[in-house]
Amino acid sequence: MNLNIFFQQLINGISLGGVYALMAVGFGIIFNVLKFSNFSHGGVVAICAYLGYFLATRVAGSLWITLLATTLLGGVVGVLVEKLVFRPIRIKGRPLTYFFVNSITVAMLVQQFFSALWGYDYYPYPEFIKKTALHIGRLVVSKTYLMMLFISALVLLGLTLFLRKTKQGIAIRAASSDIWTPSLMGINTDFIISITFFIAGVLAGITGYFLGMTYTVTPFIGSFILKGIIAAIVGGMGSLTGGGIAGVLLGVVESLLIAELGAAVTPIVIYAGIIILLLVRPQGIAGKLYTIKA
Amino acid sequence: MAFYAKVAEVTLLYSIFVMGIYLMTGLTGLFSLGQGAFISLGAYTASITYLRFGFPFPLATLLAVLMGVVGGIIVGLPTLKLRRDYFLLVTFGFSEMVRALLLWTAQLTGGALGVAGMPKLVGLPMIAVSMVIIVFLIGNLKGGRFGRNCIAIRDDELAAQSMGVNVYGHKMKVFVLASVICSYGGALYAFNIMFIEPNLFDWLESAKLIVIVFVGGLNSLSGVFLTSILYYTFGEVFRFASVWRDVILALLVIVIVIFRHRGLFGNWELSLRWLGILPSFHTAPRKGKD
Repeated sequence: MNLNIFFQQLINGISLGGVYALMAVGFGIIFNVLKFSNFSHGGVVAICAYLGYFLATRVAGSLWITLLATTLLGGVVGVLVEKLVFRPIRIKGRPLTYFFVNSITVAMLVQQFFSALWGYDYYPYPEFIKKTALHIGRLVVSKTYLMMLFISALVLLGLTLFLRKTKQGIAIRAASSDIWTPSLMGINTDFIISITFFIAGVLAGITGYFLGMTYTVTPFIGSFILKGIIAAIVGGMGSLTGGGIAGVLLGVVESLLIAELGAAVTPIVIYAGIIILLLVRPQGIAGKLYTIKA
Repeated sequence: MAFYAKVAEVTLLYSIFVMGIYLMTGLTGLFSLGQGAFISLGAYTASITYLRFGFPFPLATLLAVLMGVVGGIIVGLPTLKLRRDYFLLVTFGFSEMVRALLLWTAQLTGGALGVAGMPKLVGLPMIAVSMVIIVFLIGNLKGGRFGRNCIAIRDDELAAQSMGVNVYGHKMKVFVLASVICSYGGALYAFNIMFIEPNLFDWLESAKLIVIVFVGGLNSLSGVFLTSILYYTFGEVFRFASVWRDVILALLVIVIVIFRHRGLFGNWELSLRWLGILPSFHTAPRKGKD
């Protein structure tokens, strides 16, 4: 691989990795608070991709308005999923297995619902940004990718600030280490969980919009969550920073592997790598190992 | 008549897969979204060794089962010692990996075109006999010491461990056994349907198997069996409505998990004790925390 292609793929990989990072953080923030793997995040991503498509083609023609609307609606969808599906079993104090089952079921429900409603057709987003590119030296950077990278970075920065500086953010971090103790300190955990799902939904909204824009909208778009989950595992489950970094890394590794080995072998190499990584260093990059506590 | 025989064949085939999942998810509480990969592995191993290398059918099936063992050990080794989430996520990745692998090795597997041309060597009698043996096996496991240990692991891993149950060993055995059942079922599938392709069993198919177990009830083998029979027969008979079938199933599951978390059949087991010859698979209903 010559240097030119290397840098080209590096830049593409970082932009794609930004989207993976958003997914990993959205997945990780719920894992942090409720301690279960939230597969329904993929479902919310898929709903948002369709919402974004609907808004962009039927309602408004502007990129920024539709992106913002999709993002906010994504948050609402996230909260709705929590209230309808997870809150009833949380109130009844069911074990974690039932959270698993419900989250898998939601992912399945969304995929099958869209398949049944609109079939396996592909829906392309309208072109907001002319397919122009910036030329930096000999590198060609697509404007869409640049915008994705910029927004992803901005959102992750904003989330970090939110978690560190605001009262609600600090409450979320407190709930991450223990869900019961904060409720003794006068924190409304129910509200905090809703906020967490809202944030995850917002992240899913952005992810869904970007995925719909770079690829096309199909019922299977929720399966992209696998990349976010892999990033979350590599980063160390529950470490948001680790997940974000691992997401970018995964995007870069994927792009470079595709350039070097081809698109067919890349998934095989990546998944085999994950199995080996778990054998050698199960706690991931960030070194946070979740074990079962009494 | 041929139509009903076909429906029965497909229903029983899928019920074999469901039984494998019951052992793993229902009894031991292990969630795998990768059982579809084991079905594919079994189906591909059997049909390729039969077609390309001319192995006889029994040997091809044996190889498919061995493939299930190897795959189970490779996936189980790094993940079963960790939290259940890792197992769930890695099996999900494993199923995508197998799919990519089957597409990539197109020289051998035919890639996206799939494999066709297997003779129909597996009929209803063979599937039915396999089914009975597997149900009998799992029923006995459930009633015995091993199964009770598994249920203890499912309900509280830490407590089971402190009572001297070898958690890792049990999980490994259960996972490998479930993988074997799935790959065996896959081999039967290949020689009954006579066509396989890489996308036949994706994560969604694995998720459906899990979901059926939860509808039937974790503590009720007969209930899960009945649910599975009902679901797949319904799907084959009402093909026109099949797109909405999974939507209804998914909604049903959410309602059941919320309002009746022990499943439709609860602790009920079909008892054949009145016949005087067959044992009952019933274990005493447990009290307290679920």
